[in-house]
Order: sequence, then C-alpha cells, then structure tokens
Amino acid sequence: MIRKSVCVASLAAIIVLFFTISPSITAKAQQPAAVEVKIDNFSFGPQAQSVPAGTTVTWTNRDDIPHTVVSTDGVFKSKALDTDEKFSYTFAKAGTFAYFCSIHPKMTGKIVVQ
Amino acid sequence: MSVNPFDIKTVVLAKHAQHVVLIHFPIALFLAAVAFDYLAQRTKNKPFADAAYFNLLLAAVFTVPVVASGLAAWQWALEGEKLRGILLLHLVFGCISSGLIWLVFGIHRRARKLPDRSLPNYRLVVEALAVVFVGLTGHLGGFLSGVNGPG
Repeated sequence: MIRKSVCVASLAAIIVLFFTISPSITAKAQQPAAVEVKIDNFSFGPQAQSVPAGTTVTWTNRDDIPHTVVSTDGVFKSKALDTDEKFSYTFAKAGTFAYFCSIHPKMTGKIVVQ
Repeated sequence: MSVNPFDIKTVVLAKHAQHVVLIHFPIALFLAAVAFDYLAQRTKNKPFADAAYFNLLLAAVFTVPVVASGLAAWQWALEGEKLRGILLLHLVFGCISSGLIWLVFGIHRRARKLPDRSLPNYRLVVEALAVVFVGLTGHLGGFLSGVNGPG
C-alpha cells in the first residue's frame, strides 16, 4: 500500500514538474534570438543575415569612427553611432531589408526576415 | 552594377562624394599660396607674390562649394542631427580653416591696394595657423571618409 502511494506521489511529482518546466522550455524555444551585427573596419559583419520574424537585430559600432545604419527603403534609421554605441530594430514582417551607412554609402548589408 | 563616371546623373547622385572631391582644391591652392608667399618674402620676388595672391583667391573661392557641400552632407546623410566627436571637430575645424583662408586673402587683397603693396609680417603667423587648421581638418576628414578603410 505504501509502495503504491509512493509510486503515485512520484508520478504526480513528475507530471507537476513537467508542466511547470515545459512552458518555460516552450517559451524559450519560441522566443526569437537576438542577433548582433558588428560594424568594424568599414564593413557590416555579417554582411547578410537571415532571421525569423520578430527578431531584434542590434548593430554595434566597433570602429573608431562614426557610422550609421540606414534602411534603403526608409524602414529604419539610426543616428550617427560613435565607438561602442548600439542601434536596435525589431523586424516584425518578413522580407529583405537592405541597409547602408549614410556617411560611407559603400558600406552595405542586408537582413533577410523569414 | 557598372557606373559611368562621366554621366551627369551618376555624378549628381553620388550623394556627398562631391565634398570629398572638392576639398582637395582649396587645400592644394592654399598650401601653394603660402609656399609662394614665404618665397616672395625671402626673395622679394614680385611674381612669387602674384602667384601667392592668385592661389589665395582661388583657395578662398573654393572654400564656398566645399563648406556648402559639407553642410549639405550633414543635412543629407545625417539629417542635420546634433554632431559629436570627430564629426563635430571636423565641422568646427573646417569652418575655422575657411575663415582663416578668407582672412589671409583679405590681408593680401588689402595690401595690394596700398601704393607700396607692403604686406604686414603678422600675416605669416596667420598663414602658419591656417596651415595647422587645414591640416587638422584634412586629417579628420581622411578618417571620416574612410581613407584608412579597406578598398
């Protein structure tokens, strides 16, 4: 009788534990990862980045001089970023978002949102 | 995409590249003018003094499109946002340099109207100061334009 009770209690504990942990696991799996693009040596790295919709992309200026992050279609635009300054944008919709540095237009990159 | 550098539309749509191109003219003209003026001072040679004057005239004239294109780049590329750091220093030093070039030209122009065309000696100090500011502005501009960057 005692063994049966222990088994039932253990099973109940496992079920409770599963339902307690699983939502956080599911939530973690569903939460889009934050993606970082580094600006260094007059280039964006990676130059092209694919991300799922809802992802927040953060650009960090690791260069010694100011740069900007400006969408070709005018979707997003940062101010001039000095060294170690960041700019973030959350991509809600799917599509290809080309961008460039307005101070150095040869610097280009793109975010592909799936 | 292939680009025809002699196509007017390509040149006009080159965003703020005009500033980077135009800036070389007043720098070269002003440095040449100062060199000729120092030579004229040492040798008392009138052609050197004339060369200094006309180089200064052109340098001063060229500062107008250079400042205009620089301010246009600020408005166009950065939408006139408040500048900081190297960008702000470049703007301030650029304005000071242009002002000093015009000041030196004004000193020379005034002297040419005098009967003996004698130039005040203090203009050599002003010229040296202007050379320092022009050099500093160009140095910062070189960083900003990416002259140290890849390709």
